[in-house]
Amino acid sequence: MTESVLNRVVADRPAHAGTLTVAGLGGSRTMPLAEFHGRARAVANALRRKGVGAGSRIGVLAGNSLEWTLLDLAALMLKAQTAGFEPGKFTAGAELIDRYDLDLLYCDTAATDAMTGEAPSGVRPITEISSYASEPPGTLDPVAYAPTDCTTVKFTSGSTGVPKGLEATVGSIDSSLLAVQRIFDHRPGDNLLVFLPLSLLQQRYWLYSALRWGHDLTITTYQSVFAVLPAVRPTVVMGVPGFFDAAKRHIEGSAGEGLGPAEAAAELFGDRIRYLWTGSAPADPAVLRFFTGAGLPIFEGYGLNETCITTKNHPGAHREGSVGKPLPGKEIVIDDEGVVCVRSEHPVNTAYTYAAPGDSARIFQPGGVVRTGDLGRLDEDGFLYILGRADDVIVLDNGKKVIVRPIEARFRATGAVTDCVVFCPNQTDLVAVVVPGPAGAAAIAEAVETVNATGEPDERVARVVVADEPFTVGNGLSTAQFKPLRNRIRDRYRDRLADPKEGIHAGRPRHPGPRAAREGAA
Amino acid sequence: MPADLDTLAREQLAKVLRDGPAPAAIDPARDLVEAYGLTSLNKVLFLTSLCKAADIGLDRFTEDDLVRMHTLGDVVDALRTNARK
Repeated sequence: MTESVLNRVVADRPAHAGTLTVAGLGGSRTMPLAEFHGRARAVANALRRKGVGAGSRIGVLAGNSLEWTLLDLAALMLKAQTAGFEPGKFTAGAELIDRYDLDLLYCDTAATDAMTGEAPSGVRPITEISSYASEPPGTLDPVAYAPTDCTTVKFTSGSTGVPKGLEATVGSIDSSLLAVQRIFDHRPGDNLLVFLPLSLLQQRYWLYSALRWGHDLTITTYQSVFAVLPAVRPTVVMGVPGFFDAAKRHIEGSAGEGLGPAEAAAELFGDRIRYLWTGSAPADPAVLRFFTGAGLPIFEGYGLNETCITTKNHPGAHREGSVGKPLPGKEIVIDDEGVVCVRSEHPVNTAYTYAAPGDSARIFQPGGVVRTGDLGRLDEDGFLYILGRADDVIVLDNGKKVIVRPIEARFRATGAVTDCVVFCPNQTDLVAVVVPGPAGAAAIAEAVETVNATGEPDERVARVVVADEPFTVGNGLSTAQFKPLRNRIRDRYRDRLADPKEGIHAGRPRHPGPRAAREGAA
Repeated sequence: MPADLDTLAREQLAKVLRDGPAPAAIDPARDLVEAYGLTSLNKVLFLTSLCKAADIGLDRFTEDDLVRMHTLGDVVDALRTNARK
């Protein structure tokens, strides 16, 4: 690694013409990144007057906004850490400040103390940042980061239900930014669109990338993204499978009204797309083929919070069904149990800062290695294929292993359910918890037969529990990237999963299912 | 704005929903999320399509407006109000 992107982003006011647009339903605002840099310096000076400096930690619990980005760069300029909290997943208040050692917490919703009725000490409205940004920029003492310095705390689901906190090193951020730049060559004229929460560090990467390499950046929200896309005409969209699946269905509907898929896709995404980025969860191969066929190349990658971006398909190395080759600075080893292990030249970290005892030891290994818990294989050319989560593998009492993700994908593909998670509560029969589509229970009964007809004998779903409500961030059953939280769904529906009389039962198997196979073996 | 915004809204919603129910079968008083499984992403797709079909500027709405649209009836009312502005 020859340069620190973050050191350069912090020190240098951009000399290029790149812009930042913050857009939503109801309007948008664009400013040159050079002006943005000056406004962030003004925010940094205001924060410095409030006592923020090297070693301070500022929490941000707010939706995507200009203030979020200004606060992020201002904190970097002061060598203060940020801690990005996903809206809907955390509650502003003294408990959050105490738990994660925050000096300040900026929020976009009012927080009041139950006892006093006033805002808890340290909790500030993020609108305050706007007024700081309009002050003269002033000057700041220069700061310099070492590769092992940490700029931010990111959060990931914890085994106890309390999110684990992981501090991210400058070396890991620089390494990822340089590697991505090498394969995608983001440049002036590009406009990268971000709509996932800025609390996710990777979404803020594209701000650092814009400041460094001079492309434009548009930030919006997931509520507004589809309204914003055609007006902004981005060249790159940073998405997740759930987003692209929704877009595909919309485009297919529009295509049925006389537009070709390419025209319908251009109507929704604008006419300048260079490529689409997907990650965070496995993408449906049919969705990937659809977009590529419509003239919008889409590239899937792989990485965890603990590893950062690890592999990525890209225009120079792309293989269908894979999640790409390792980025420079990353090495993949598949261990004896088939689990993907990632060695990073610049690790994100070597332990969680906030976690239950034993959590760090389960994933972080010596030598900068992270044992991901995902099952995978490498092909002869080094492309990685993710086969499932180790946690998602059900070992039946006949000793056979079933990877549930393909079953869940087949269930969703029937159209009868919008989401599906498969469990094996008694080690014999598979039971799915599904979020129904509009056609209701009758369609689910038919769909489970379709799923079973196309699966292996051990993959037979015997019973379906219909969820009371969709899996959402609000009810704690989904991440902000639309990934169902398997353990929480299991906890919520534990009784119904265990009760063999509950739910919609599949018809008699046309071939032996897990139970029959077990009995046959005996 | 078309005379029968209600019919147009039903037609556009039916297209967004998986398995596309009959437009006439959609209950305008039922919650779009709970009854029809409409996600936040699909809600804005639906509104985008409907505004285009009804020739009403999408820029008249804010994210707060979107949050307040719980039922198809809410959507139609919001469009009628904005179409008059």
